[in-house]
Amino acid sequence: MAYQLYRNTTLGNSLQESLDELIQTQQITPQLALQVLLQFDKAINTALANRVRNRVNFRGSLNTYRFCDNVWTFVLNDVEFREVTDLVKVDKVKIVACDGKNTGSNATE
Amino acid sequence: MLSNSSPVPKLYISVIDDVIESMREVFLDEGVEERVLEELRQLWESKVMQSKAVEGFMKDTLNPSNFVLQLPTNYAQTLRKPTASIVIPAGQNLHNFTAKANSSSTLATFSLPPGVSYPVQIPAGVTLQTSSGHLYKVNVPVMVTQAPGSHRVLSQPIQHVLEQREPVAHQETTTNSTVLQTIAPPVNDLYNHPPAPTGPVIQPTEPQPVACQQLGQGQCTSTELPAVQPPVVQKLLHSQLPPESPSDSPFTLEGIDFSPQPLDMSPTSSFVGQLTGLQEKAGQMQVLGSEFGGREEEDMNNAEMGTLPKVTENTGAVNLEHSEDSVKAALMKAVSYNDLLDIVQLDGVCDSSSEEEQAAGGPEDDFLGMINAEALRALQEGDGSSDGGSSNSNNSDVEDVMPEEEEDPLNSGDDVSEQDIPDLFETDNVVVCQYDKIHRSKNRWKFYLKDGVMCFGGKDYVFSKAVGEAEW
Repeated sequence: MAYQLYRNTTLGNSLQESLDELIQTQQITPQLALQVLLQFDKAINTALANRVRNRVNFRGSLNTYRFCDNVWTFVLNDVEFREVTDLVKVDKVKIVACDGKNTGSNATE
Repeated sequence: MLSNSSPVPKLYISVIDDVIESMREVFLDEGVEERVLEELRQLWESKVMQSKAVEGFMKDTLNPSNFVLQLPTNYAQTLRKPTASIVIPAGQNLHNFTAKANSSSTLATFSLPPGVSYPVQIPAGVTLQTSSGHLYKVNVPVMVTQAPGSHRVLSQPIQHVLEQREPVAHQETTTNSTVLQTIAPPVNDLYNHPPAPTGPVIQPTEPQPVACQQLGQGQCTSTELPAVQPPVVQKLLHSQLPPESPSDSPFTLEGIDFSPQPLDMSPTSSFVGQLTGLQEKAGQMQVLGSEFGGREEEDMNNAEMGTLPKVTENTGAVNLEHSEDSVKAALMKAVSYNDLLDIVQLDGVCDSSSEEEQAAGGPEDDFLGMINAEALRALQEGDGSSDGGSSNSNNSDVEDVMPEEEEDPLNSGDDVSEQDIPDLFETDNVVVCQYDKIHRSKNRWKFYLKDGVMCFGGKDYVFSKAVGEAEW
């Protein structure tokens, strides 16, 4: 089972909103919507693993860190994300990271 | 031409395609119609496109036109036979067009590629969708021209973008010219109007003017759409119109019965939570009825509403045997305790205020937030006994209170961080990824991350590997 981590992204949230609309109009059942989300989890995990090939560096100051249920959550301040072509500066960023070694059973964000 | 474009839009489209295709069989097994699946795709794509995450989705360096053409099924074949009038190039940025036209799906979508030279003639039977999601069904050949100033404008063909009430599906190429002409003048007027807010929903039976927000980059036009639309289009329009905000109205007391009623002590804690959603839970306010008969000033009511939970909690802690008058007086005082009541478990502070108000009567002490009723009674008894007794007992009572006062300021510092944590983790900039390794040496942290999606101020990025450093 793939991580449900990516549901809280633009893509994931827009999917959930769309599914909610269809559920409200009773065009699909909540169970079917859940199936769609599970399929989305697989698709996004696969896509990120196979279709993305870029590297990013970043530097900033660490405000907080949390490690719970094998999930790291960081809050960094004044961060620069540097790609080959782009540089993005943000004053505050939250990083949520699941264990990359074991993508099996952990299904929480 | 788009060699420097972000990989994000393509990735998202591929994910959407994967999901939709893999769900096709499941949908059929569940007995759900395929049009529902297509509608899901449309909703999903439109939301993604509308977000800033993929603002470069259909972006072209020259002509940032955000035209999306949705073609009905039976038109797919027609489009495959390009006529001389169709100028839309088939090769550029039509990543999902061919697939869709070949599939049995009911809709085919593609976007006008950036390098399209205007004017573009769009054949009949085509539904145009702007980036904002509004749909225009074309029933006659439409000429899309480019107005001066690089605005994308539907010029005179707007007159033709109107339909009758008869089922559109049966009319692919011909329209009733008389109908068009009669409608044309108002359309021209609408065409020149400033953008109107979106709002009207395409009703199944009545043509309604639909105001669009944006047509490409151009000015806004509005046009009338037919009464009868393919169900998918209707649903799309329904979904793409801004949802009405449910109970956004400011909190009012209409319909709330404030007739005197005995206060219900039991659900006090739940009531506190309910008060945070006042608008939706107005019905439950009836529980509080008693003290608000006659109070019709919203400001006062709002203030009192804010204090009510504290009031009910305190009355829950103490036997409620007070008359309405005393409770009313207490509530008047409770308004002034608002700030104090926000700070919980500060007996010392509340005691000091209660001492000021004690002249007005004993009962209001019971309405101070979170005070241990027994301690309060003990204090009152101690004060009472001190009047007739030695001052030592009074001092001892005061001394008992004093350590609490000293401890509270010491402990209050711990509470500050509690309030910051929820805000601390709220941000618009989020990175969702997996970690290979997290390393720390003293206060230097190193992050080795992978397969991440980043969202900064609404704009999306992705990475396969990310390495970072930070000092804590």
